[in-house]
Amino acid sequence: MSLLEVDGVSVRFGGVRALSNVTFHVNRGEIFGLVGPNGAGKTTLFNAVTGVVRPTTGRICFDEQEIGHLKPHKRARLGIGRTFQNLQLFGAMTVLENLMLPVDAFARRGIVSDAFRLPTASFEERRASERARATLHLLHLDGIDDQRANDLPVGMQRRVELARALCLRPKLLLLDEPASGLDARETAELAEALPRIRERFGTTMLLVDHDMALVMRVCDHITVLDFGEVICSGPPEVVQKDERVIRAYLGEEVA
Amino acid sequence: MTDKRLRHGTIVAGLLVAIVVPLFLSDYYQYEASEIAVLAILVLSLVLITGFVGQISFCQYSFAAIGAFTVGSLVGGHHWSFWLALVVAVAFSAVVGILVGIPALRLSGLFLAILTVAVALFFDRFLLAPGTWDSFSGGLEPWKIGRPSFVGIGLEGPYAYYAFALAAFVVVAWLVWNLRIGKTGRVLRAIRGSEIAASMIGIDVTLWKLAAFGLSAGLAGLAGGLLAADVGAVSPPSFDFLHSVTIAALATVMGVESIGGAAVGAFALIGIPEILSHTPISPDYFQLIVGVALIVQLVFAPQGAIVKMTEDVKRLIGRSTTDDPPAVTKELAKV
Repeated sequence: MSLLEVDGVSVRFGGVRALSNVTFHVNRGEIFGLVGPNGAGKTTLFNAVTGVVRPTTGRICFDEQEIGHLKPHKRARLGIGRTFQNLQLFGAMTVLENLMLPVDAFARRGIVSDAFRLPTASFEERRASERARATLHLLHLDGIDDQRANDLPVGMQRRVELARALCLRPKLLLLDEPASGLDARETAELAEALPRIRERFGTTMLLVDHDMALVMRVCDHITVLDFGEVICSGPPEVVQKDERVIRAYLGEEVA
Repeated sequence: MTDKRLRHGTIVAGLLVAIVVPLFLSDYYQYEASEIAVLAILVLSLVLITGFVGQISFCQYSFAAIGAFTVGSLVGGHHWSFWLALVVAVAFSAVVGILVGIPALRLSGLFLAILTVAVALFFDRFLLAPGTWDSFSGGLEPWKIGRPSFVGIGLEGPYAYYAFALAAFVVVAWLVWNLRIGKTGRVLRAIRGSEIAASMIGIDVTLWKLAAFGLSAGLAGLAGGLLAADVGAVSPPSFDFLHSVTIAALATVMGVESIGGAAVGAFALIGIPEILSHTPISPDYFQLIVGVALIVQLVFAPQGAIVKMTEDVKRLIGRSTTDDPPAVTKELAKV
């Protein structure tokens, strides 16, 4: 049964077709790779799924529910988490604060219990920080709780952003170039971490990256986009040998 | 825990000074002291909206005016109890704050500043224009409001009202501090950091921003209502648009994220013109001084004077904390 169904989705910005008639299904528990040259529409697709942009046409279903009309924060609460190509950590806040926020977003307590320090406030506070610490531990990030996010090296920031998305306990995790800016060792760690996360939380993942070795290694299924269209879809071994894919990446031979 | 001890020490010392010193002052200065305490609440309303959420507002005095005029018309014109009128005033200002927040949702930086200026000018030129309130008050203008009594204690005397205003400020400051260290503060700072990222982790940005606008306007309305009872009368010129600009500038100079900065800012707002009136320099130069201070602060201490001083003291006693200047200051610097 598929968790995410993208059916005939097109996104147009003025005269530019960012996505045209894109269709694919992501099955539960799958690590699904989405690749394509720069400008192929991968980030636009992420934005359409998370609600940042509205598709011109097409349907997006998540967990057997049409979500095309939902606002971004509602989709997040349904269980769609995301990391960003250009990091979007709250830089002036500590790592722990960054990770507590997804739990905060769900907590029912609000302004009143905070203002008067009601017992519910401290209870939720503890719950949020416990989940944050547990998630940091899972990604081998112990001991950086009180550091400001901006003070960390980029590779570490990427992992913290991944940890923040995980604190949402998403059913579906969208990873937008998680390996960019990482060195070989960090990329290897990431490749090892993703299946571990899936094992632990049963998270389905949609992965966009330019590091083909990473995508081929961790993904169960790969869809290739070029100029906003799906040009190929299948298991890694098949996609690797597809002629259209090779052409899209290397350019056509000039006759 | 040096931080905490330092903070607690400063608060206790500040409170002692605030309680004891006015005892030895003349009625006139006690009256000015209560104005400082009330204005400090108004600056706190800015700490909430500008300091936490990063939304610039040049119309805090307009919200205060709603509070003052609500209290004025209900107490002065319709003989309501002051306390009931104050509750209505806070609620009413909060509602107007939310209404102003709706068009502000999609704006930030310069454009938001322009919107709030427009709101302030609208209040100035239309709602606070002579005659607008006559029909509601039965032609009485300005309204006369007696000092209320609090659980049987009369607040007529200048020190009594000062003590009451100071207590109100302390309570509001405590509430705002609690918001800041709790989930609310975290969520609001996250929204200031990146609205997209905040919504991607499930935060309802619209709801929280409107709540912050409402809360901030409600606090401003509270300050307005307390000011009405302090002055004993309500008249439009006390809520001139220029006051809103001055208070926003002063809050920025002191550090708009800082609650202590709010207290010092309010002190400067009343204290500097008072000091000037005893020197050959005219108090009219106050605006000029604030303007120069703002430029100097933006260049040398973008995080705000009080915040910078706190950091320097912490560094001196061996604990370094470096903070980026708040987003707002950066935006103001761009303007």
